[in-house]
Amino acid sequence: MSRWVVKGLRGRCRSSQYPVKEEKAPGVSPGIIGERLPQGSALGLRERCPMGVICDPPGGDLVDRGRCIHCLRCGPSPSLGWEEGFEWARFTPEGGPLPPSFKGSVHIRVVDVGDCGACLNEVKLLNNPYYNMHRSGLFITPTPRKADVLLVVGRLTEHMKIPLIRTYEAMPSPKRVVVVGACGLSGGIFERDFITPNVVQEMLPVDVEVPGCPPPPLAIYHALLLVSGQMKGEYER
Amino acid sequence: MYDFLNQIQSSFSVKIKEKDDCIYILCPSNLSPKICDILFSKFDYIFSGIILDRDDMGWKLYYIFFKAHKVVLVEVSSSRPIPIFHSISPYIHGADWHEREIEDLFGIRFQGHPKLGNFVLHDDVWPEGVAPMMHKDFPDPSFDYWQDLPPQRLLDAKGAFVMSVGPVFSGEAESVHFQIETIGEEIVRCYPRLFYKYRAVEKKAELMEIDRVIFLCERINGKSAFSSALCLCQAVEDICGITPPPRAQVLRVFFCELERIRHHIGVIEGICSSTGLWIASNAMGILEERVLRLCCTLTGHRYLFGMAIAGGVSKDISSETLKEASEELERVFLEFKEIEDLLVSTSSFLDRIEEVGVLNRSQVRDYAMVGPVARGCEIINDMRVVRPYLLYSHINFGIPTEREGDGYARLRVFCAEIEQSLRIIKEIIQDIPGGPVAITPEYRAGSGVGAVEAPGGANIQWVRIDEGGRVLRYRIIPPSFMNWHGFHNAVEGFAFQDFPIILATFGLSVAENDR
Amino acid sequence: MWRFTLFFLSLGCFLLGIIGDRVLSRRECGWLVGLAGVTGGIFLFIWSLPLLLSREVFSLAIYRFFGKVKWILSFDPLSLFFLAITSVVIIASSLFASSMMGRKREGRGEDACVSWVYFSIIISSIFVLTAGDVFSFLLAWEMMSIFIYLMVSCPSKSSPGYLMLAIGEAGTMAIMMAFLLLANHAGSLEFSTIAQGSTTLSPAIRWWVFILSFVGFGIKAGLVPLNFWLPRAYSASPRAFIPFIAGATLNLGLYGIIRVNASLLFPIGVGPGLVVLLTGAITALVGVLYASIEDDFKRLLAHSSIENAGIITIGVGAGLIFLSLGHPSFASISFIASLYHLLNHSIFKPLLFMGASEVEGSKGLRSLDEMGGILKKMPYTGLFVLVGVLSISAMPPFNGFISEWLTLEGLLRSVEVHPLGVRLAFVLAGVLLALTAGLAVTCFVRLFSMAFLGRARSSHVQVLREKRGVDMMAMALLALMCFVLGVAPTYVIPVLDRVVSPICGTGSSPYLVPAFFHSPGNSHLPLAFFHDFEKIGARIGHSILPGRGLVILHRGGNINPVVFVASPAYMLVTILVIVLFAMVITEIFPLRGRRIERSPVWAGGIKRLFSEMTYTASGFAQPIRVIFEALLRPRHVEERESLAGHFQMRIRRESVHIHLMDRFVLYPLVKGPSYLSAKLAKMHGGEVNTYTAYVFVVLVGVMLCLGFSFF
Repeated sequence: MSRWVVKGLRGRCRSSQYPVKEEKAPGVSPGIIGERLPQGSALGLRERCPMGVICDPPGGDLVDRGRCIHCLRCGPSPSLGWEEGFEWARFTPEGGPLPPSFKGSVHIRVVDVGDCGACLNEVKLLNNPYYNMHRSGLFITPTPRKADVLLVVGRLTEHMKIPLIRTYEAMPSPKRVVVVGACGLSGGIFERDFITPNVVQEMLPVDVEVPGCPPPPLAIYHALLLVSGQMKGEYER
Repeated sequence: MYDFLNQIQSSFSVKIKEKDDCIYILCPSNLSPKICDILFSKFDYIFSGIILDRDDMGWKLYYIFFKAHKVVLVEVSSSRPIPIFHSISPYIHGADWHEREIEDLFGIRFQGHPKLGNFVLHDDVWPEGVAPMMHKDFPDPSFDYWQDLPPQRLLDAKGAFVMSVGPVFSGEAESVHFQIETIGEEIVRCYPRLFYKYRAVEKKAELMEIDRVIFLCERINGKSAFSSALCLCQAVEDICGITPPPRAQVLRVFFCELERIRHHIGVIEGICSSTGLWIASNAMGILEERVLRLCCTLTGHRYLFGMAIAGGVSKDISSETLKEASEELERVFLEFKEIEDLLVSTSSFLDRIEEVGVLNRSQVRDYAMVGPVARGCEIINDMRVVRPYLLYSHINFGIPTEREGDGYARLRVFCAEIEQSLRIIKEIIQDIPGGPVAITPEYRAGSGVGAVEAPGGANIQWVRIDEGGRVLRYRIIPPSFMNWHGFHNAVEGFAFQDFPIILATFGLSVAENDR
Repeated sequence: MWRFTLFFLSLGCFLLGIIGDRVLSRRECGWLVGLAGVTGGIFLFIWSLPLLLSREVFSLAIYRFFGKVKWILSFDPLSLFFLAITSVVIIASSLFASSMMGRKREGRGEDACVSWVYFSIIISSIFVLTAGDVFSFLLAWEMMSIFIYLMVSCPSKSSPGYLMLAIGEAGTMAIMMAFLLLANHAGSLEFSTIAQGSTTLSPAIRWWVFILSFVGFGIKAGLVPLNFWLPRAYSASPRAFIPFIAGATLNLGLYGIIRVNASLLFPIGVGPGLVVLLTGAITALVGVLYASIEDDFKRLLAHSSIENAGIITIGVGAGLIFLSLGHPSFASISFIASLYHLLNHSIFKPLLFMGASEVEGSKGLRSLDEMGGILKKMPYTGLFVLVGVLSISAMPPFNGFISEWLTLEGLLRSVEVHPLGVRLAFVLAGVLLALTAGLAVTCFVRLFSMAFLGRARSSHVQVLREKRGVDMMAMALLALMCFVLGVAPTYVIPVLDRVVSPICGTGSSPYLVPAFFHSPGNSHLPLAFFHDFEKIGARIGHSILPGRGLVILHRGGNINPVVFVASPAYMLVTILVIVLFAMVITEIFPLRGRRIERSPVWAGGIKRLFSEMTYTASGFAQPIRVIFEALLRPRHVEERESLAGHFQMRIRRESVHIHLMDRFVLYPLVKGPSYLSAKLAKMHGGEVNTYTAYVFVVLVGVMLCLGFSFF
């Protein structure tokens, strides 16, 4: 047993310094389409993107990042609007952070409502030595009775509606909801039909949205920092 | 190799048809159980699944078998609007869940099957007779239908009760509802109620373009996205009669094995954290993150989404970059070896997985289980050797197997497969040919089978397309579907505290099963 | 003579109860039982308690049988103590029985026939406790046995009562032999003469007397190995009277053990004490083990009675050993502990049985696996049973805590005893007692949670209704006494000390309950010690409260001045302060917008939590069954039905547990003679010649014997 202790102590500290310092290691994030497109790129993007990331009106350049499924058919190239980085989380218009007393200690209940496994894996990696979310006071708890934040991953299916609502109701106030991934925001590649008629926003009041397919761990980290009040966020227009 | 054909033709009146490397045996429905039984029991064919398709001439039910470079499909056709087929589950138990799925989604009954219903579409959410795959249109959502469905109970003992775990449980587990029948401490029967995450992929794929279906296929199980998409691409390439260029094949093999390494590291990390050995699980987590970052720097996506396209791969990577990636993988592997050596010498860890979650060989065979789980019981149905694809017939690699069938055996299989994958990678990057990485396919109408060894096991897909490149029928038989079926054998007889560990040693994916 | 007025008045009330039952109709029987029982009990209590406190010993000769044999009633502190306990139990159980009898029955006319039997048992118990000579003791004992048999077998004429009677008779035989040995040696049948004469008994006869009386009284007290009748008899008893049987009849056996070994025979050798100690320890463990895995509510409580009898016996055994080794002060601590536990047992056991009878209702709901959620239907019953459960699990501030703690402390005094074997025996008994205490908590947590909490697991629970009558008063009275006895042990221990000091020759209450409330000059404590304790508040309340103090304390030598100390009253005050503080913090100073939300039980998000998804009592006890499998040795049966090899249709599992005592004692006892008689049956060939040969052989033998006796 002592060999494990020696092994653990011998390893160097790999934790990212985010949010104190910027994280620029390669491979941390695939990047995502920017919120503002460079001049004249909207047309090219509209041709390439199979998911219709650019919303109406036609001719405009309003980007709905919640539709990006990281299919990488647009390059990805910066000239068509692709940006590096991972701070993609945004508050919804009705959403907001937890009260200030929760800053250093937030308990999270993760609910998988139809996830493919990639988003859930990224959530699991949050507690990995590289990201180590405990240093920001974020904890994952198996019981909703002790949870402050409900982290929803996946494409909401009809079968998982009731478990999701029950989990939400079992959480004590104050509580916040974070939706992770394109599937949760817009449905992603899974269209609306009999078995996936709704998105999470229609069932629960969502506070923070994180686009991506899947969003890398630091993007989810950013979202959790926003919802716990440790970071100031921009509100969606 | 044609002995079985002679025997079948002499005993029954059937028609034989050969196309590429597939042999179709056309027979009436009442003879299908016996023919399948002969193939399975007498000639040791691997049963892989059931595919139900409907073209202009009526319904076609295919039972698909693999062995030694041959694919045998037993085909039963019916021109009725609602056909009746005979069940082969009394002979091949692995067909049980396939038949239940077809009954639930199509409304087609299988004669002779003892237990149908409440499988994919949960009976407490959907009324009877929804059958979404039967009709061209999508059915209406279920809205306010509500029915109380008490758990089905098989255990007749004093004080027996059903321990209900899930669907929302643990910290970061996928949603699945376990109904564990017990008398207190011991699991007497475990019934996993799956399909909480059923997203009707097969239905959504109908009338979608191939490209979009590839995206859908990747996102059925994000952790083996590339292999899944590769299987679909191979099926489409078979239909269109094209072969991807050599450089694309090398890249495809490289990505497959890269994904396999990453997936297995994740499974081993799961095993370590289920037993509570946090240093090992964190060390494995470091390695997993390194491989993920490597994938991202190579291809632009951590999980290799968007790499597979029909006709090749979507992005070229220079040979120097590939060599550097291979060196990084070697470094990862050295670290991994160190952790593995420590793990197998930690007796408190081995105590939890040795002789726990035992499967025996006949169970694995009867339930047609696949992948590392089956290789833990000495049953090899690795698609890379059974029906070699890409460059695997030219590469020198081994398929590790173990005999005991317990959790420790499966762990050893996962570890050995990582080593073999690295060996494959090192061999193929010795000599990478130049050239394009994709050719544009010209779509033809037709149907085809793809079979790929995904990290979790054999992934079989059937696709039928039209000339415009739109998918008319898409069927996917993921490895987790076969293995979830046999999972209950491993937990019955063990106590509650062993349950999460046994679950972790299987490395199953609920999303893949639910589709 | 007139100091016995109340005593005879109470006997008269009970007699009235017997007569009235024969005369009155069934409906009025309930009132009669209540009235006669309660008044008689009150008279008895009022009479016996002051006499107990006055330390008098006196006897009353009533009658002369055949001119020679006197019927003597003797009242010494031991008898008066037992009378006082019994009177409390009579009051509570009469109230309960009258309420039960007044209810409508459905098809079971069990209680109507037995109220006269009830009073007969009371009267014969009183005579057992106050008997002053062998003849009247045995007469009363036999009567009591027969009446209890009548009561147990009244509901259905079945074997439990008969088994109890049979084994009880064997016990009575043993007791008779023991007493006759003693009487023979002393030359008289009176207890006082026997006590004086016993000092000259030879060791061999001492051992015989001890063994015979221990076996005989042990049967009644429910000690291993002859207690297999107890669970069967208790579960077959009528619902209205089982609290009394459980509370009062066990005491008689223990009374007999204490009387013979401590009062009539002064302990000389260590042997008898060791036997008593170890038997008690094993009894306690066996009792609680089977209680933990039992599914029937009443049988569970019966096994728990066996456990408590074992704990009491441990105290008695420890006391006897200490006496024989010349440590009277330690002996008195152990005896006080065991008598305290006896008192407590007589209070909380009837309380629990009352709860069981209420839950059984008219539908006969007994299986814990089928209960659940009864607290919502019967809140008051649940509350009182909760008090009983906490007491029996030895939780402060209730009474069980004091007696078990004192018993353990008494066992720990063995460090000052020299023989190594004795110390090892004490260690073994202590370990078994500790294991028992842990298992008892498990057992009663299981009982309360599976019966009263959770969801209803069967439809029988839906029809339960709480009828709030006099039975609630009885349960409330007992629950209140549980609380009072737990909070004010410093008032009870001096009373017990009066009972124990004639046995031990010395009183220990000055040592166990120091007089902190009196000024220093009055106590046995050195001044410095007194002041130290005064600083930590041992004198709080001395101006308001009567008595000596609120602290139980055992003082050692100069090296460690305090061996053990506790104060349940202060514990209670601390608990109340903490609870009050928490309430103040949460209720009066809310943290910004306190809101109460209610949502259903969290069950993983499933649509509905069915009752079959909740734990059953058997499931809860399964780990205990697995751990103790080597002792319990169950027989497992498993059958699996499947179609085509893999489609599971049905799995059937059964475990059959045969009680240890049944396996080792009852079945051999029953099968042995039948085996022997089967062998001997070969003698009965049926041929006339064989029988003639037997006659011839016997004749020759007799002649030979006669011949030898002449020479």
